[in-house]
Amino acid sequence: MASTPSLRFESQRSLTYRLILSTLTGRQVHISGIRPSSPTNPGLANHEISFLRLLEAITNGSEITISYTGTTLLYRPGLIVGSATGSGVSGGVIRHEPPPGCVRGISYFLIPLCLLAPFSKSPVNVLFTGPGVITSATSAGDVSVDTVRTAVLPLFEQFGISNNIELRILRRSCAGPEGRGGAGEVQLIFSHQVRLPKTIHLMNPGKIKRVRGVAYCTGISSANNARMIEAARGVLNFFINDIYIFSDVSPAPFLPMTDGSNAGAKRRIGVGFGLSLIAESSASVIYSADVVSPPSGGQPPEIIGQRCAHQLLESVSLGGCVSPLGAPIMLTLMAMGSEDVGRLQMSKGVIGTEEIIGLGRDLRRFGASGWGIRDGERDDGDVIVSVVGRGVGNVGRKVA
Amino acid sequence: MLGKRKRRPEEASQPSPQEVGSADSESGILHEAFRRHFEAQFKPLGGLKLKTRDVSTPTLDADSDSEWNGFSEPEDGRTVEVVECTAPPKASLAGVPKEELKSFMTSKPPSSSSRTKQAVSKSDDDSDDATDAANIRNDLALQRLLAESHLLDPQSSYSPTGANRHKATDLRLQSLGAKASILSQDKMPMSHRKGIIAKASRREERRRREARENGIILEKARKSRGPNIDRRERSIDGPGVGMFRKGMLRLNKRDISEIEGSKRPGGRSQKKTSRR
Repeated sequence: MASTPSLRFESQRSLTYRLILSTLTGRQVHISGIRPSSPTNPGLANHEISFLRLLEAITNGSEITISYTGTTLLYRPGLIVGSATGSGVSGGVIRHEPPPGCVRGISYFLIPLCLLAPFSKSPVNVLFTGPGVITSATSAGDVSVDTVRTAVLPLFEQFGISNNIELRILRRSCAGPEGRGGAGEVQLIFSHQVRLPKTIHLMNPGKIKRVRGVAYCTGISSANNARMIEAARGVLNFFINDIYIFSDVSPAPFLPMTDGSNAGAKRRIGVGFGLSLIAESSASVIYSADVVSPPSGGQPPEIIGQRCAHQLLESVSLGGCVSPLGAPIMLTLMAMGSEDVGRLQMSKGVIGTEEIIGLGRDLRRFGASGWGIRDGERDDGDVIVSVVGRGVGNVGRKVA
Repeated sequence: MLGKRKRRPEEASQPSPQEVGSADSESGILHEAFRRHFEAQFKPLGGLKLKTRDVSTPTLDADSDSEWNGFSEPEDGRTVEVVECTAPPKASLAGVPKEELKSFMTSKPPSSSSRTKQAVSKSDDDSDDATDAANIRNDLALQRLLAESHLLDPQSSYSPTGANRHKATDLRLQSLGAKASILSQDKMPMSHRKGIIAKASRREERRRREARENGIILEKARKSRGPNIDRRERSIDGPGVGMFRKGMLRLNKRDISEIEGSKRPGGRSQKKTSRR
């Protein structure tokens, strides 16, 4: 692998996807121009550094070189070993602590980790803890852990990856003051490893048959949950009657004061509430929506519930066999599948986004074949994307 | 300028004058529309006239002698902020079925298959449980009777005894998915087994030969195949070829020939296998 020249990328956009594609395909990457013009925070942000640490923890033999200013990164991937006993693993669990001032939700780490985990050598068991874990959705665009559990993990079932997958929410937390930090705790157990994910053919989106959701609030009264649920149902009841939204009430986590004035003092962090909704179709396509109260407050639960319901309706109205949230995950897994043509019906509104087109270009750079796109059979404005797998799946673990 | 407010229970139950007016005019519009439609089809209606109630005098006179005249306008131009507080919503988790809660709110991702199963079982609950159970029991008894009726001799009762009981048990076990019959002997001297197999194959061969001679077409002979070793699901971190045992990777001839590929240039290998 060292013989192949490194792939060169620029800017910090889709950094996590580039890094996991690099890890999956075994190509080393050189990323330059990471926030070069920012006067205050040039270079890698702290959550990106933390993600690199996570990659280092679950792989064996990866090399990460960061330039002095942090604007350039060289990553040489190692083998994905998961939580095998070794350096940094105690009792089969990798402990990962995002930085205290982390502004991204924990799904920023969870979703890429879920993409690596099926190709790991041994089961992946990572505990995210510490004062930087935000389990709720964030204003930076991350989804909540509930959405990861109910909308992202079921996607893997379609690829034949379904056994012994758990996402335990040990302590909930919304974003702290100014959206920085929380103190939640989440454990991901991903114990189904495959050689290659199955080839999928999803050509029929089906009709929406049920709506489920989780309303969560930390550190405030449960009446807020009830108000969110009521508002969301008020919007959705018009379309479907099979709606259950569950309520999860938890106290806000405590953190010790860091200023040192009083040794025993603690403060509450991560107070807030939010709603995560999924709509499942008869063909098991899942659309999701996620809205959380802003860290500054000032929005009543009714508005949050209503906005979440509207967001869900928007996601459903896009149509296709994959939601905007699941599209990059599905396409990456299809590209890593066996050397066979998989087909996926996607809405033009989903595939025509900058993120997906960028992912397609990145996949080609990493050696995957291009996508074939044609119009769908039905006249609903969807396209059928054909993806040929690379047949590598798991580059590190093949014994020749 | 705020006076003491009197109770007016009879006022509260009455609809407001605006509501009366709107409802009345709405029905009036409807009447008018029906009338026009009718007249367009048949002949004009003469005598019917639209009834209009006088809505300008609402019955508020009963309270007119009250000394309270409502809220006064604020003098300094402040506007009163109106806070709408809706009634506390009823607990929406009350109607959630427990299995739904269990399947959705665990740490595992909710799978679509488990949820469809629950939906089926839920529909079963609707019908009467007791009669259902009795029906199922009777059904099972009938099924067994039909399946094992050839074991029964006419003078015995419906529950088989003795050797027949063993045969019936065997049938039931096989229908439940047992791999082999409990009546077949699995331990015997090798010569006996060889003899049994030889006899069976001889009998089968004779049956086929006679059928062929008589021009009868039989079913295709199935080759019995043992467990297929090389199609097994291999472990994730093990070698993709051969058998690793006691620290040694053993390759048999077939493995080696597959690795080497076909000897003839340009020729295809005889049997195409896909191995990863």
